[in-house]
Amino acid sequence: MSIAFPVRLGAAENALIDQLKSLGADATAERITVAGLPTRRVEAYHYTDLKLLLKAIPPLAQAANAAGVSALDIAGAQRLAIVNGVIQAAPAAVAGVIIGKAEGTALSTRDDVLVHLNGALVEESLTLTLEGPIDHVIQVDRRIEGDAAHAADSLKVFVADGASATIIETFSGSDAAHVGNHATYVTLGKDARLTHVTVDLSARAVSHFATNEYQVGENAQLRTLVVHAGAGLARTHLFPRYAGAGAHGDITGLNLVSDGQHSDITMMAEHAVPQTSSQPLFKSIARGRGKSIVQGKLVVARDAQKTDAKFMHQGLMLSDEAEILSKPELEIYADDVVCGHGSTCGKLDEDSLFYLMSRGIPQAEAETMLVRGFLEELVDPIEDEALAEALHGVIDGWLLGK
Amino acid sequence: MTTPILEIRNLHARIEDREILKGVNLVIPAGEVHAIMGRNGSGKSTLSYVLAGKEDYEITEGEILLNGESILEMEPNERAAAGIFLAFQYPIEIPGVATMTFLKAAMNAQRKARGEAEMTTPEFMRLVKDAGSQLQVDTEMLKRPLNVGFSGGEKKRAEIMQMALLKPALCVLDETDSGLDIDALQVVSKGVNALRANDRSMLVITHYQRLLNHIVPDVVHVFSDGRIVESGDKDLALQLEAKGYADFDGAAA
Repeated sequence: MSIAFPVRLGAAENALIDQLKSLGADATAERITVAGLPTRRVEAYHYTDLKLLLKAIPPLAQAANAAGVSALDIAGAQRLAIVNGVIQAAPAAVAGVIIGKAEGTALSTRDDVLVHLNGALVEESLTLTLEGPIDHVIQVDRRIEGDAAHAADSLKVFVADGASATIIETFSGSDAAHVGNHATYVTLGKDARLTHVTVDLSARAVSHFATNEYQVGENAQLRTLVVHAGAGLARTHLFPRYAGAGAHGDITGLNLVSDGQHSDITMMAEHAVPQTSSQPLFKSIARGRGKSIVQGKLVVARDAQKTDAKFMHQGLMLSDEAEILSKPELEIYADDVVCGHGSTCGKLDEDSLFYLMSRGIPQAEAETMLVRGFLEELVDPIEDEALAEALHGVIDGWLLGK
Repeated sequence: MTTPILEIRNLHARIEDREILKGVNLVIPAGEVHAIMGRNGSGKSTLSYVLAGKEDYEITEGEILLNGESILEMEPNERAAAGIFLAFQYPIEIPGVATMTFLKAAMNAQRKARGEAEMTTPEFMRLVKDAGSQLQVDTEMLKRPLNVGFSGGEKKRAEIMQMALLKPALCVLDETDSGLDIDALQVVSKGVNALRANDRSMLVITHYQRLLNHIVPDVVHVFSDGRIVESGDKDLALQLEAKGYADFDGAAA
């Protein structure tokens, strides 16, 4: 016999339940009523206790004046915008890109509160079909403007067989205490190649949540880079699924956290068929009392022989009070695979610092050089020069800021 | 009498509780090349690090003067701008920082510290190309991250190239011959000899006399147990090579 104690609901949970009911999402409302927001007792949220961290939920977003500038200006990019969850009229599409809309969220069903919320809130997804090699970088500019709002949006991308593209998504907006819940679902066809970069540049008061799901087909190559450099609370889910032989993913990410910030990258990769590979590489830089979390799980299905996957997380502590938490997990059902994980964490190397200073470079400049060097491994593989330059700008902006 | 480039007076230094330098006295006049020879663990490398300003060492007594000015209170970058250059025994690998980017940052930082204007890019490129060609450092190598994946010879050539570009008053070469084959040793020595000048001094630290056939010193010092125990001309190095260090242990107070 067990006695079920009802979960004590907080202000954020009650607001969520009211919002969900107003949208007719009774099942999701019921889940939150019964279970509440996940706490540290839920394994996947152990280091990001939403019940503790999400104190309030602002009202549901209303369509806002979409005027405003994107957080990153990338020369020559095909720009699309979603403001307060509303898909903005797109300029003429470049050759090979078909822009459209689809009902509801693009994400597949998954037992995760943020995924459920996205499903309940999103009315329509922006869709992109990429039919061949796309020369222009595609920028999806997602913003939450005006007064504090709870906004959700969704993007669905299909990269056709043999097609290739680079997509940069930026998240920004006004400096109110928004809660953003963003979704991206990407399918890569046979021999497709995609570089997908997502950069959070929201204001410090914002809570930023994103879920990126990828289906990687036969011989397709995926490179991702998620950068958290804005919101006070950020969590990005990465769910790559390697579904065709020869599929490969370079899943990378970077948490840049300053005093009082909490950033979390949680990856769960599924190697579903034989002969797929992935190289997840994450980096964290924390200063002040900043907190960075990287969780990475590799799941290898029983049939997925010859999987080659290695998870790596490297942390750099710039203060004694900073926290960097790393949780690698392997769940392997096949018996002929090469899988591994590694985590390192430390301060700037003193011998390296001395070497640079002994050549006349002042300490602050030498430290900046070493940090840039530490991160270059993530930016260097980005082939588009304008995009790489914009990413260097984001990193330098963080280094020179507080 | 003109001021020597380097003057070390009764220098004592320790790391944690262990005293390593126990009263070093050394004067290097302008234009001279001095060699320091000594067995492993005698404190030769410590002397080079102390000159460059590595913070692991505590100076308990004594003075170091560069062109008559004390450098003990200076940070490593200030010492570099004042004219000290240490060619490392083991140059440090810095991933993600292109050699070219590093060279430009170093040269401009020193210029800025001396109140000079920054170089233009064409000016910088020309200087780098000139220095590189003498030391067989090509453009491809300069694009690579600093010292990362460089062979032993490449690392030492890159060190001497930095020295040529930064034009220091005092060059300290710490075991520059280690890890070099004969051909590389000749290239590196030629690079060093090309930098000999009336207004520049050098301190060459080595185990072996071999290097001193290529970089011929004006004065040779024998280092033992944290101090200089014997000084002489270049023939002293040959005596050492023949007899070993045993004769010099504790020879002088």
